[in-house]
Amino acid sequence: MNRVVLTGIGVVSSIGIGAEEFAAGLRAGRSGARPISVFDTTGFEHANGCEVVGFDPSRWLRDLDPSTMGKASQFSVAAARMAVADAGLAGQLTDKRGLVTVGTTDGESFDLDRLVETEVEDGPEAMDGAGARRVPAPLLSLSIARELRLGNVSAYTIATACSAGNYAIGDGFDAVRSGEVDFALCGGADAMCRKTFAGFYRLGTIAPEFCQPFDVDRKGILTGEGAGMLVLESLDSAVRRGARIYAEVLGYGLNCDAYHQVAPNQSSIERCMRLALDDAGVKPHEVDLISAHGTGTKANDITETRAIRQVYGDRPPRTISVKSMLGHTMGAASALGTIACALAITHGFVPPTINHRVTDPECEIDCVPNESVAADLRVVQNNGMAFAGNNASVILGKYTPGEPAVNGLAPVAVNPAAADPRPADNRSEVKR
Amino acid sequence: MSSPAYAAVRPVITAWSAVSPFGVGRKFFVDGVLAGQPTAAPLDREQWPGPDEQACLVPDFSVKEVLGRKGTRSMDRVTGLAVSTIGQLLHDADGNRVVRTGEESALVLGTTMGSAQSTMDFVRDSFTGGQPHHVDPARMPNSVMNCAAGQCAIWHQLRGPNTTLAGGGAAGLLSLDYARRLLHHGRAGQALVGAAEEYSTARAWLHRHSGGTTVLGEGCAILLVEPAAAVGEGRRPLAEVLAVQSRFYLDADPRRALAASVRDVLTDAGVRQEEVWAAVGSAVGEPGEHEHAQLRALFGDAAVNRMPGADLLGDTGAASSALRIATVLSVAERSAEAAGKLVVLSAVDPYGTAACALLRLAD
Repeated sequence: MNRVVLTGIGVVSSIGIGAEEFAAGLRAGRSGARPISVFDTTGFEHANGCEVVGFDPSRWLRDLDPSTMGKASQFSVAAARMAVADAGLAGQLTDKRGLVTVGTTDGESFDLDRLVETEVEDGPEAMDGAGARRVPAPLLSLSIARELRLGNVSAYTIATACSAGNYAIGDGFDAVRSGEVDFALCGGADAMCRKTFAGFYRLGTIAPEFCQPFDVDRKGILTGEGAGMLVLESLDSAVRRGARIYAEVLGYGLNCDAYHQVAPNQSSIERCMRLALDDAGVKPHEVDLISAHGTGTKANDITETRAIRQVYGDRPPRTISVKSMLGHTMGAASALGTIACALAITHGFVPPTINHRVTDPECEIDCVPNESVAADLRVVQNNGMAFAGNNASVILGKYTPGEPAVNGLAPVAVNPAAADPRPADNRSEVKR
Repeated sequence: MSSPAYAAVRPVITAWSAVSPFGVGRKFFVDGVLAGQPTAAPLDREQWPGPDEQACLVPDFSVKEVLGRKGTRSMDRVTGLAVSTIGQLLHDADGNRVVRTGEESALVLGTTMGSAQSTMDFVRDSFTGGQPHHVDPARMPNSVMNCAAGQCAIWHQLRGPNTTLAGGGAAGLLSLDYARRLLHHGRAGQALVGAAEEYSTARAWLHRHSGGTTVLGEGCAILLVEPAAAVGEGRRPLAEVLAVQSRFYLDADPRRALAASVRDVLTDAGVRQEEVWAAVGSAVGEPGEHEHAQLRALFGDAAVNRMPGADLLGDTGAASSALRIATVLSVAERSAEAAGKLVVLSAVDPYGTAACALLRLAD
């Protein structure tokens, strides 16, 4: 079995586009919250969200016409192109055997919203054909292969809702680990849509202004959008070509509550985290940081922190929520969370949980309120939980050239270039 | 994806069921396949006020009638198809549970986009209600693509990995490969694998506006896949999955990608082209004609003619390649000649995937 490392990151988010801006945003505790503009919010008493602003798809698309793609696909393709360039692999994947998999909650529901609006106003005969052709969910992944002209990949979309990003990363990890593929391009993407906003609003779980996970006064989620894509490859491959290594993927866990469509289940979440720890070969006390699912709803935050205390004991690792900054980016959420973990390891800091005033006594964790802190992180875990009880936890480890893996796996021979944390020149060929 | 991976697990199909235009359950499916009876029929335009005159529907399918009233108040059609297909698979004809589930049971369910009808109905209320948030909260989960897989888990206590794989027409074969990977890495002891697609007015309109001309069908097929070395008590392999390969195809031309995938599965399994007994395509309409022409060129007319055509059930979208596996298993069940034979299954999806699987039918 190969050791698997993360060598390329692509990010489209409300707090920054690209790995560098995203890392700076996480470190600064930037907030993506603003009034929603992507759909008409007339009639909603409050309508803040974490939109991606200043995103110009034509900067990232060379082959494909953006008008033939839904917004989620535009995000996924842009993030994929960034990730491949960041890995120093631009133009080098055409014939390489690979897996492309993008997690999503809503696919191209933004387009579906508009098709329904047309139907309501002018009848179903008037629906836009281009819009109809954009909506099949497989396109979130296939568009990446099309734009990057990847001629030897399997490409599909994992639609496991709000843990789908971690599902996709886990799938990529397994495919690289067993040597089935030379690389995996995996992550998650979603575009904000009226459907999901209206649904959460109706459930009373949309916060009026901002998202404040673990706070005693938290009022719910903000919907968000974006994409996070990762390049995974074997450690041997990365070392051989002198790639910068952000982190090693140590393992992951998946399970299903089989309990309730919407409500979380504490014991099942515990089991998911234990599966991930076992798979990664690490003990609970070795985990330095948990990036929680941390939506900012009453139910999630209490259930999740209780599950964490069951698994990690009375002094659990620091447990943060990047959703405080990014909102809930749905299918992108756990991919962006895992990327945040990798950047935290690489740059030596813990991203904060912003908008925090008083920790809920029922959420007995240190959420690193408001200000990031410097830290040497060796093992970091990212949680994703979804409607339908789909849980997925991913565990990353710090990679130190020449040393055994943090879970004790043997080291490999090291090319000194791999130790250079600075991007190589050829990694910044994408226009910014 | 490659032979070492398959050799490591030796995944075998040990049970299956289908809910299809042939009827609810495996027996109806086998009978329908063997009879070769087309299923397209005029639509009741009151129930289905869309653009279609005809479709291939599961006859008289009603979630409440098939599954009962308890827990089905808000259940949509595609969820009902999947929950009932798995229910059929897990129980014998007398309703006795014959397959255990729980933490070791994965579900990998293929789709195109979940229920387009549920998703569009949900947001429609936001446009037509008195207030934009006047949507039906009980139906919100239906508007998310993993609804069917999650409900299957709740109904049948599937606590392992629970994956909804959006792969269009290739979803059945992609799900099989994905499930093999789960088993290989020890993430489940057994996997229920398949795909579901519902007929709906919303899907019909999207299909029409996308330029689709095929007669739409619906259905769900689910396979129980286990490692050959760990087949549950009372079951025996019906077929071994020797290899699955899939490729994105460039420039809207699936032929090279399909040829490469066929070549790869044969090479991976160490099988010569002339050893393949049957070759089975999944697409219908014009893409299906191209797919079948390519299979004829590769494997000869006799191999392609051994299975009834894919168009009996209409364009079943994501469910198509899973239903084709069920077709192969149906023929195998009633044909002494099929024992031990090699079968190639292909799928060509309009969105960009060509996929291929190689099965060896049980002796």
